[in-house]
Amino acid sequence: MLRKVSHHSVTESFGAAISSLNAVHLTDTVIHRSKRMMLDTLGVGLLGTSTAVFSKALQYSQFFKSVERSSVWGRSGMTLPPQYAAFVNGIAVHSMDFDDTWHPATHPSGAVLPAILALAETLPTQTSGLDLLLAFNAGIEVQGQLMRFSKEAHNIPRRFHPPAVVGVMGSAAASAKLLALSPAQCVHSLAIAASSAGAPMANAATQTKPLHTGNAARRGLEAAKLALLGLEGSQAILDLESGFGVFYSDYSPSELPGTNGGCGGGFRWVLEEQDVAIKRFPAHLGMHWVVDAALEARAKLGASGEPDLCKVQKVVLRVPPSRYIDCPFPAMEHQARHSFQFNACSALLDNQVSVNSFSGPQIDRPALRELLAKVRVENPQDNHPSFDKMYCEVTVEMEHGESVTARCDTFYGHWRKPLSQEDLVGKFEANASTVLSQEAVESVVDIIGNIEKCPDCTVLRSYLQMSRPTTHLFREHLG
Amino acid sequence: MSATLRGLHQSALEVIQRPASEDSVTDSFGQFIQGVQPHHLTPTLLHRSKRMVLDSIGVGLLGSTTHVFQLALQHCQHMYAPDDVSSVYGRRGTRLSPTLAAFVNGVATHSMDFDDTWHPATHPSGAVLPALLAVSDMLPNNRKPSGRDFLLAFNVGIEVQGRLMRFSNEAQNIPKRFHPPTVVGTLGSAAACARLLSLERSQCSHALAIAASLSGAPMANAATQSKPLHIGNAARLGLEAALLSSIGLEASPRVLDDTSGVAGFSAFYEDYAPQPLTSPEEAGLRFLLEDQDMGFKRFPAHLGMHWVADAAASVHKLLLGELGSQGMGRGSQVVGQVQDILLRVPHSKYINRPFPESEHQARHSFQFNACSALLDGEVTVLSFSQEALQRPDLLALLGRVRVEHPHDNPANFDNMYGEVQVTLVGGDVLKGRCDTFYGHWRNPLTNESLKKKFCSNAGAVLPREKVEGLIEAVEGLDSLEDCSPLLAQLQ
Repeated sequence: MLRKVSHHSVTESFGAAISSLNAVHLTDTVIHRSKRMMLDTLGVGLLGTSTAVFSKALQYSQFFKSVERSSVWGRSGMTLPPQYAAFVNGIAVHSMDFDDTWHPATHPSGAVLPAILALAETLPTQTSGLDLLLAFNAGIEVQGQLMRFSKEAHNIPRRFHPPAVVGVMGSAAASAKLLALSPAQCVHSLAIAASSAGAPMANAATQTKPLHTGNAARRGLEAAKLALLGLEGSQAILDLESGFGVFYSDYSPSELPGTNGGCGGGFRWVLEEQDVAIKRFPAHLGMHWVVDAALEARAKLGASGEPDLCKVQKVVLRVPPSRYIDCPFPAMEHQARHSFQFNACSALLDNQVSVNSFSGPQIDRPALRELLAKVRVENPQDNHPSFDKMYCEVTVEMEHGESVTARCDTFYGHWRKPLSQEDLVGKFEANASTVLSQEAVESVVDIIGNIEKCPDCTVLRSYLQMSRPTTHLFREHLG
Repeated sequence: MSATLRGLHQSALEVIQRPASEDSVTDSFGQFIQGVQPHHLTPTLLHRSKRMVLDSIGVGLLGSTTHVFQLALQHCQHMYAPDDVSSVYGRRGTRLSPTLAAFVNGVATHSMDFDDTWHPATHPSGAVLPALLAVSDMLPNNRKPSGRDFLLAFNVGIEVQGRLMRFSNEAQNIPKRFHPPTVVGTLGSAAACARLLSLERSQCSHALAIAASLSGAPMANAATQSKPLHIGNAARLGLEAALLSSIGLEASPRVLDDTSGVAGFSAFYEDYAPQPLTSPEEAGLRFLLEDQDMGFKRFPAHLGMHWVADAAASVHKLLLGELGSQGMGRGSQVVGQVQDILLRVPHSKYINRPFPESEHQARHSFQFNACSALLDGEVTVLSFSQEALQRPDLLALLGRVRVEHPHDNPANFDNMYGEVQVTLVGGDVLKGRCDTFYGHWRNPLTNESLKKKFCSNAGAVLPREKVEGLIEAVEGLDSLEDCSPLLAQLQ
């Protein structure tokens, strides 16, 4: 009766790798990069707790009771059932489109870090910083590997939003790692998670988008917990076209290399070969090219004094083709974050794009609307919709005939031109201090900076909830 | 905005900026959900949907005895505390938060693959009923929905699923990529809950859109222990989408429309051609259930199994005739006589399993169901127990099965057939063919058969009074001013 029907070597190799990865496999590069990702993720998450979507998700999540509780970032004393803590914190991370981006495209950290921090708070034994780092990297690695199984994953997505496809798998892997599941249970965590994967692109650039990351974190954690209880899914989930392959029109998986049991063979992490991009302002990654180009164009115009932008006749943007970041007249914050036109014009007008560029008043201001009306978008043949290959060119033509053009191939923050450590920490501090006290901000920087030496990573919890005094007062006032 | 500026609009802009997307397919669904009225429920709809409600509760109650249900319940009870709101099928005193109750009850409903099946293929009731029951439990005692309101919300949830499946040709055949309950079921649940919660038109649309981001699970997990979670999650997440919409969360206003370059609900299909729903204010609104009835299963296995089971059962009768129908040792006699078994069935990888290794796989195996019926004359709940799976007679027969996929046998529940051809050692050939099994929409179960199935299922966990009380409550549901009698007897 025992006849093997399906071939499941790819899935098995993932289960084995997740289970057997340990601290010796972490290289200096991977540790350095993943700590930067963690810090950045915490910062954007803390800032994100001020958004409306976070508020709604929190309101909804408070509906649930549980014995085990995990912290809500930025909210002193507030806890939720662990899955819902992962949910709301994950939403916070992606709520402003300010979180990290990888190649092939996804936002890897927001699906993983909230889940494992929430989980760590519930474990009976102490979770060291190294455990956390390892689980985090397992979650990132799985995502990176899965995206390399198809060509479709290499271009700006059209059908499914990548965090909802690979993110939940990463969260399941990371949670499974933290729970120290067996190879078979790791396999089932992935299988169960696959049934929670996938959300359509149409919901990107809507208020629901951050839920894609929040749900990835939550449901990956849930999958690992279910696997721990003994639930099983398809053991060939990653091998089959009818398995994880359903999310791609071309799917060609391959086995993970072994971890060599730590005999000096080492493990080749995707993160080692391919770093992430860290954003400088909260908008879709593509915006960063057009902004850097626009800033350079503006500088050229202003070579002889402040440019008079009322005298602009025409602005031409040469960008890669992508429907969902081509929005000539954004009416809402979410659309503004996904509009080449808006970001180029903001950069031209203000000589910078920052967190504050996307508020209602900023979107509606007449000077901006006027400038937007003068924008034309072109999609040159050689401009591929890929974060590894795209460029942006901005040409500004003035009424009196002057014309400048600037081009950006690699923006500052891209993996080819990473943020300096100082600027990365600066971004975190600016974000975190909107919510946390100065002491807490500094402590988090310190803890993450030395996370591999930290004996108990849950010390983070109290700092992540140590709000600024004024924030307290504001909330009390609101009743 | 001036006309000049309007001229600059590119088609991408349509996706977001058209005021309220008034002529969109998505909006027509929102309008339908919010605007449909009790008088739209025709006698046929009432009759058919009440049968679905009864059958769904029955299979859910039986399903509360399964291991996967226990696992799901344990998970909810570990990760969350008891919450005295929504009841869990068959477990007196056990209540959970509404979405979690919807989850476990949905898991129960699909746990044995015993729940209803529609055409195009999906299991519509399990994604909707548990969510509606959970919502009803959530509403205050003096504001429980009437039976008619409940049935209306239920029918909304079914209708939305049916309409969505008609937007693609891919949906017409046995699924290959996404398990249909996880695609249309989630939106059906969202629609039904939005209705029962009396959401506004735009909130109804947003509930569907939010649900789209919670849809879609791969077919590979069907015939694994995870499959029932597909229905559980459809119920739960659809409810969640409605609740999130009710507190103001918004998503794509054109999620059901076909916008090139930006996939909405179309992400789940290779071909997609949506149509708006008729406005409830216009005459001529017709629910799909009126024209396309539901299939109910007689035993807990994939629908396709019912054709081969009926065909094999008729061969079994012929065989008994040949053998002189002696009671003792009949199994081994059958085995002794049978040389070869040929099944002529549609081509579908996930229900073609020569040697199923688990209960779940057995429920999805043409070969297993044919051989069981050949041996026993029928397939029942008990045919899938561990002992039954391993009996030597069955294993012997399984070794003699060949499968063919005739060109005229499409993988489609409306057109398929099952043929069983048994060659005996003496050379005789016995044939059986089933075009429409008893329980299929073309040959529906009588009310009596349906009730019998319900009694057998519900009676496994509930005392007699509650079994009869439920039958009474469902039969009279459209007259109940308050659906509490239904809610009170589920555990």
